[in-house]
Amino acid sequence: MSAWWLGLASGFRRVALLALGVAVWEAAARSGLWSPLIVPSITRIGQELWWLASRPESLIEAWASIQRALGGFALAAVVGVALGVLMGRSALAGSVLGPVFSSTYPIPKIALFPVFIYLFGIGSLSKVVLIFLECLYPIVVTTHAGSRTVNRVLLWSAANMGVSRAGILWRVVVPATAPFIFAGFRIALPIAMIVVIITEMISSADGLGYLAMYSLASFKTDRMLAVVVVIACLGVALDRLVVRLRDRLVFWERLESYYAE
Amino acid sequence: MLAAVLVLWEFATWFEHPEFILSPSEIARHFVEAVWSGELLPHVGASLGRALPGFALGSLIGVVLGLLAGVARSLDQLLSPVVFLTYPVPKIVFLPIVMLWVGIGDVSKILVIALACFYPCFINAYYGARGTSRIMVWSGLNMGARQGQIFRKVVVPGALPLVFAGLRVALALSFILLFSTEMINARSGLGFLIRQSESSLRFDLMYVGIVAVAVLGYASDQLLLVIRRRVLAWQEAGR
Repeated sequence: MSAWWLGLASGFRRVALLALGVAVWEAAARSGLWSPLIVPSITRIGQELWWLASRPESLIEAWASIQRALGGFALAAVVGVALGVLMGRSALAGSVLGPVFSSTYPIPKIALFPVFIYLFGIGSLSKVVLIFLECLYPIVVTTHAGSRTVNRVLLWSAANMGVSRAGILWRVVVPATAPFIFAGFRIALPIAMIVVIITEMISSADGLGYLAMYSLASFKTDRMLAVVVVIACLGVALDRLVVRLRDRLVFWERLESYYAE
Repeated sequence: MLAAVLVLWEFATWFEHPEFILSPSEIARHFVEAVWSGELLPHVGASLGRALPGFALGSLIGVVLGLLAGVARSLDQLLSPVVFLTYPVPKIVFLPIVMLWVGIGDVSKILVIALACFYPCFINAYYGARGTSRIMVWSGLNMGARQGQIFRKVVVPGALPLVFAGLRVALALSFILLFSTEMINARSGLGFLIRQSESSLRFDLMYVGIVAVAVLGYASDQLLLVIRRRVLAWQEAGR
C-alpha cells in the first residue's frame, strides 16, 4: 500500500514538474520577447508533432533511425556478451583481449566515421558499424567485470554435479553475470541513440537526426523541436524497455541504483 | 597484441590496396610532418578550447548538485525526477536548439558538451553521497562535528570513488560530442580537420586527425586516472 502510494506521489511530482516546464515555455513564447522562430509556442510544436505522426514518410524516417540504432546495438550485445564472458572465464582470452579493450577504451571511436564511410559506403552500414563499435566497449567491460565475480562455490557445485563446461557457462555464469550485462546494456543503448542521431546529422538523407538538421536549416524551428521531442521520447522508451526486460529476466535481484525511486 | 595488429596492418599494405588505407609508418610520418609544419596544433588548441570548458562546467555543476541532492531531501525531490527522466535522452538533440539560441559558434558546442557531462557526474555523485555509511555519520555527529564538517569530511570522501567513475564517463562523452559537433559545423578543430580532409581526399591529413583524436582521448583519460590515484591514495588504485 505505502509503496504504491509513494509511487503515485512520485509520478504526480514528475507530471507536475513537466507541466511546470511546459507552462514556462509557453509563457516565454507568448511574452513576445523572442521571435517565434527562436521560441515557438507549444501549440505550434504540438501541431508539428501531429503533422509528423500523420505522415507515413516521417514514420519511415523514425523507422530508419530505430533500425540503425537497434541493429548496431543488437550486434554489439551478442558479440559483447560473448567476448566479455570469454574474457572473464578464460585466462588466455582475458590476457590477450583485456589489454586491447582497456587501452582503446578511452579513444573516441566517432573519429573513425569518415574512414567507415569509405569502407562501408555512406548508407546505413557505416552507421551501424560505428554504433556497434561504440556499444561494444561498455558491454564487454561490464560483462567482463561481472563474469569474474561469479561465486566460486556455485561453479564448484555445478562441476561436482557433473555439469559440462558449456553447461556451466550457460546455466551458471551467464545468469550470474546477467545483472552486469544489463548494466552494460543500459549504458550502451543511450550511446546507440546518440551515435545514430550524430551520424545522421553529419551525413545522411534519412532518419530523425537528418530531419532535425534539415528542419533547422529550413528555419522550421517548430518542426525541429517536434523531432527533438520524438527523439527524446524514443530514448526514454527504449531505456524503459531495457529496464522492463531486466526486471523480467533478473527477477531475483532488485535494481537498486538508477531509478531507485 | 596491439603491436601485432600494427605489424599485420603494415604488412597488408605491401599488397594491392585501396587509396584510402595508409600504412602505420606512413601515418606516423605524416603525423610528424603535420606537427612540424604547424598544420595540426591550431586545431588541437581549438578542440581543447571547447572540450575542457564544457567538461569542467558540466562536471562541476553535476558533481556539486549530485552531492547536495544526495544529502538534502528537498533538493533531491526537486532535481532527481527531472534528471532521471531526461537521462536516457540523447543530449546531442539539443545541439540544434542551443545553436538557435546562442549562435553557431563555440558557445553552443561548449553548452552541449557541458549538458552531456552533467548527467553521469550528477548520477554518480548522487549515489556516492547516498551510499555514505550511516555509522560514519553517526560517529562524526557523536564526536561533535557540524553539518558542514560532516559533508566535507565524511560525505565527500566517501563519494569520491563514484565521482571519479562519473568523471571518467563524462570525459569520454565530452570527446564524442566534441568531435561530432565539430563534424556537424565548425571552422576549426580536429573534427573539422578530419571532415575537411576527408571530403578533399587528403587521406594523410585525415589519419593525422584521427591519430590526434586517439592520442588526446587516451592522454586525458590517463591524466584523470593519475589524479584519481593521487586523490584516492587510500583506496586500491583501480583501473
